[in-house]
Amino acid sequence: MFNLLAQTGDELVESGTEAGEFLTGLEAIGTGLEAVGSGLEAVGAGLGYGLAAIGPGIGIGIVVGNAISSMARQPESAGMVRTTMFLGIAFTEALALIGFVVFILLLP
Amino acid sequence: MNLLALEFPPVNHLFDWPSIWFEGTFYAINKTVLIYLGSMLVTMILFGLAGRQRESLVPVGVQHVAESGVNFIEESVVMQTIGPDGKKFMPFLTTMFFFILFSNITEVIPFIQFPANSRMAIPVTLALLVWVIYNFVGVRSQGLLGYLKNSLFPPGVPWPLYLIVTPIELVSTFLVRPFSLAIRLWANMVAGHLLLVTFAVLSAAMWGAGGIGFGGALFLSFPMLILMTGFEILVSVLQAFIFTILTAVYIGGSMHPEH
Amino acid sequence: MTATIRRLAGAFGLIGALTVLSAVPASAVGETPGTCIFEKVLEAENDYGSVHALEDPANKDALAAFEQELDTCEEAPSLIIPEIDEIIWGGGAFLILFGFMWWKGFPAVQGAMQARSEKIAADLDAAESAKTQATTVLADHEAQLAGAKAEAAQIVEDARAQADLVAAEIAARANEEMAQMRARAAADIESARSQAVSDLRGVVADIAVGAAERVIKSNLDIDTQRALVDAYIDEVAASNA
Repeated sequence: MFNLLAQTGDELVESGTEAGEFLTGLEAIGTGLEAVGSGLEAVGAGLGYGLAAIGPGIGIGIVVGNAISSMARQPESAGMVRTTMFLGIAFTEALALIGFVVFILLLP
Repeated sequence: MNLLALEFPPVNHLFDWPSIWFEGTFYAINKTVLIYLGSMLVTMILFGLAGRQRESLVPVGVQHVAESGVNFIEESVVMQTIGPDGKKFMPFLTTMFFFILFSNITEVIPFIQFPANSRMAIPVTLALLVWVIYNFVGVRSQGLLGYLKNSLFPPGVPWPLYLIVTPIELVSTFLVRPFSLAIRLWANMVAGHLLLVTFAVLSAAMWGAGGIGFGGALFLSFPMLILMTGFEILVSVLQAFIFTILTAVYIGGSMHPEH
Repeated sequence: MTATIRRLAGAFGLIGALTVLSAVPASAVGETPGTCIFEKVLEAENDYGSVHALEDPANKDALAAFEQELDTCEEAPSLIIPEIDEIIWGGGAFLILFGFMWWKGFPAVQGAMQARSEKIAADLDAAESAKTQATTVLADHEAQLAGAKAEAAQIVEDARAQADLVAAEIAARANEEMAQMRARAAADIESARSQAVSDLRGVVADIAVGAAERVIKSNLDIDTQRALVDAYIDEVAASNA
């Protein structure tokens, strides 16, 4: 009886130790995952900015291209077209800048 | 943050300056504040000197700078967006243009090399000020109900579309406008400063590495730094212009809703 | 042109050099978190005697706290949140500047610009009026000159016409006189001739009658008759002469 109890106690201690080791392992995995997470954050930030720059890039291209062709057609209205072009660029660029802000905020 | 095995400072630290005086108080002074005060003084001196010498027929020196600035604001900003009755906003717009310009241009001035507008303080303050001003102008020139009606229910839209248009207008006119105004200026300046710092650090590190790095510094990163410096001068002026002209557009939109 | 380009290139080079010289210390050294970490380490050494004391398992909690403090060194305040002191100073600077511009700077500059444009406009107006005046004077002069010329031509023309008239008159008169003279002469001749004819007729008749009378009166010889006729003719000729 006593032997049995002692044996059970030993087993219990053993399994407790194993559980402790298991917990330590889990903790290590957690730390690793955290590192992966922050790395992923950086990747996501960079990727997000890259994606956010596509649309405004195309948009600004369209705005400037059309502004140039209208300036070439009517050079006498170039001043007005230029002002309006800058306005269009400013509005389009805002999207890219929001992407940039998110990028800055997500940086680890 | 290691970039090509360089010691690149963390991004946040590029914009964080320790207080010089009154540390820990709400009136602490750091480099950014000094730049703000400096651009205030420079603008004051510029206009003070320009207003003093009245007699000469051909404007010279600072007079020329101030007068072409005023002329530029009048011709390309006010007349294009508000019209002749926007003349009363000229002092405000001129002040804003020169203040933002001088706070931006410190980005490329040797030994200062920090755009004060890459701190959020002035962009957000000015944007909120502009928000207050254009709403005030709208209420004053159209009445409260007329202003709300014109800005939330733009005329000429078939009525079912108001279900979509009105929330969009509400958000874009009263919430997004000031923040996009502030963020546009701020983010441009942050990006510019980051670019310049990147190429400066890269040049220094390549030069320090020796060997092939000399060539890299001389022919790649340093010319790029000079190019970027020129580009940032352009950006500084352009952002000051865009901030001013957007302000004028918003004010003009509140004044004449039909446009 | 080349001098300008050279000067521009020099300025560009100078600016670039200054940029790099000043950028490196300003951005790379002044803004690193190193000073912060250094300060924290110094603090820890003050508290525990040495940083290595923290490696003691007994000081586990203290070590964790120290690590957290070091982490705050890496974390600067967020970029997008404005600092209250910067808002106060920057906003104050802007308001002061706006006040100055509203009160003094802008009106002065705009006044100067307006004064200049008014002066230029006035100068232009003056020049314009002077030009108009000059044009009027010129036109006046030209008109006068043209008048004088026309007058002279008129005078010459008048004189010529007068002269022509006079000449024609003179010629006409001369012609008329000539015609009159000619007519008178013709008349004279005619009358003289008719006179002469009638005279001659009378004389011839007289002679014939006288001669016949003599012949009849003295029935003389031929010689005496011839001498009588000759004597009569001589008489008549002498009386006619």
